[in-house]
Amino acid sequence: MSLPEILGFGHSGRGVGVRDHQLILPSVVCSTRVSRRIAAEVGAVTFAHQHGCGIIGIDVAGIDDFFVDLASHPNVGSVLIVSLGCETIQGNELCAKIARFNPSTQYIVIQESGGVEGAVAKGILLARVLASQFKPSRQRIEELVVGIDFSRQIADPRALVDALAKQGITCISADQIHGCAKNFSTLMAQKAQVILSFTSENQPPTGFALIPVINVASASPLHNAIMGEFDLKSDATSEEIAALILKVASGAKTISEANQSGEIVAPRAVRSV
Amino acid sequence: MSAPQLLGYPRSDGRWGFRNHILLLPLHQALCNTAREIENSVFSAVAVSHDWSGEIDSDFERIAKVFAGIANNPNNFSTIFLTIGTETETKIIERSRVLGATPLHVLSLSDSGSMAHLLTSAIALASQLKEAANKESRVLAPVSAIVLGLECGGSDAYSGITANPALGLASDRLVELGATSILGETMEILGSEHLLAARALNPAVGQQIIDLVARYERSINYEGIDIRGAQPSRGNIEGGLSTLEEKSLGAAKKAGSAPFTGVLEYADHPTAPGLYFMDTPGHDIEQLTGFAAAGVNIAVFTTGRGTPTGSTVIPTIKVATNTQMGSVLADLIDLNAGTIADGSQSLEEVGSLIFDKIIEVANGRQTKAELGAHHEFNLSRLYGSTL
Repeated sequence: MSLPEILGFGHSGRGVGVRDHQLILPSVVCSTRVSRRIAAEVGAVTFAHQHGCGIIGIDVAGIDDFFVDLASHPNVGSVLIVSLGCETIQGNELCAKIARFNPSTQYIVIQESGGVEGAVAKGILLARVLASQFKPSRQRIEELVVGIDFSRQIADPRALVDALAKQGITCISADQIHGCAKNFSTLMAQKAQVILSFTSENQPPTGFALIPVINVASASPLHNAIMGEFDLKSDATSEEIAALILKVASGAKTISEANQSGEIVAPRAVRSV
Repeated sequence: MSAPQLLGYPRSDGRWGFRNHILLLPLHQALCNTAREIENSVFSAVAVSHDWSGEIDSDFERIAKVFAGIANNPNNFSTIFLTIGTETETKIIERSRVLGATPLHVLSLSDSGSMAHLLTSAIALASQLKEAANKESRVLAPVSAIVLGLECGGSDAYSGITANPALGLASDRLVELGATSILGETMEILGSEHLLAARALNPAVGQQIIDLVARYERSINYEGIDIRGAQPSRGNIEGGLSTLEEKSLGAAKKAGSAPFTGVLEYADHPTAPGLYFMDTPGHDIEQLTGFAAAGVNIAVFTTGRGTPTGSTVIPTIKVATNTQMGSVLADLIDLNAGTIADGSQSLEEVGSLIFDKIIEVANGRQTKAELGAHHEFNLSRLYGSTL
């Protein structure tokens, strides 16, 4: 049996992505609003976080690495870092680290751009140039990596993984204890291009800005009450799941993707100073 | 000294608001984008974003306190909780209900049946509340209505000689007129705590200040980190600060010379007027979030390097410590205290300008952060490093 063809985006050296997102990455909470304005103007993806400043110990390298993982993910085309200027994680240094993996990366510094309006204007220009310079080619995906979030146990995980393998889909997984949002970040760092989430019975379905998340319902009262928010019902077969993964990998939007629901959780171990 | 004319919104628990926000408070990260969409479609609604999914861990108490507190900030006309429909969320809402007087509304995803219905009903409710809020008008308020938050971020070598002492004069005058003023950022009084303790209203309060700082330093040491080595930050050093003690001596000047009435744990409410010290991180938004949860209704934020951030519910006045930054980054700054170092204005003159600006902003003038919709919110977590 020949493997199904999936068309993705050739993101040079970083594999093939199932999406071609431009990431506007605030290096600190202070850049949140500037990042949102740029992202809204150019149709890019951004997110709010609180981690680029006031961090100490292992969190400094941990957050740096997390930002590098996000920016070099195969679903990301180009990256614009929005730095304030006086924060712990400096825009120019982060840019150099990311550029080793994703050369389509630039940064702006609010304090060196004459303030908010100057930074927004400069950011929009740079983001547009980055997007036009980098034209991903449509490529066949040799190996689609699907991250499975097992926030809840399912009856036969082995059968599911085998059924997906038959379609040429490689699976990686994250286990129960951490909850979906943390699992999504873990699966992102392992470069999953699509996430399949078996969220806990008492948790809502949720998404991840850079990776399409397919949510499979359980039979719990909460999930029954909001069944329409799930991509697949609790009785979905492995074949149905595999078929949807292939559709999503080729561009079909998941429900959480359309809702843009879900905030990104970064790994932290130490309190802010 | 004559009291200024202050206009605010009286709340039924005796507190005053200087804004009339409709606060959208999602109690799950999956609902934060819905909250942002409501903010985008209903003028005067403000949305909170965070990354909490309902985890009950060692930080739960701190997180629940912040959600309950910010829902009740007196600057809110009303708060709309967006929930999944869990018991944990109900507990947070109940806690909020007993804390103050802000009318609370709850819209749950499980009752709505879908994100789309939740969004539609929340927009309808927020629009209806906005109309009711618009019908309220400001009335004459006593100066004691002010609960001022003192904050600094991106400090430089000018902070301790221009903006911070000028803010201290404004804070002293407000405290003298019966207002409440809160200094935070425990790290930034490390090294100057003995000077603050000496100003305590009684020895017990003085000891509490000393103890808080010692507890803070232990909690950082717990991580195997020497805070005096990790601070000042790179941005501070580039701004000319050499040691944490130097940064602290300058930072503490924001609290002027009034006696300290009491000490507050993170996000706790002050119970009587006066000057307080609150245990908060130095992280600007974790601090402002703690202030917001404690009922602070206006804040002054001094900055040497310049930052656009503000709070979700507290109008935050930015004061530049130096004229160069204040003019280059004019769209972030409400007032320049660099004139003190330039020699063109005295400390007293700038202190008086800050005082006037506080009244003007309390009375409704929008700050630069508000005009630019910079209103961040962060959950402060300790990750078990409590002692």
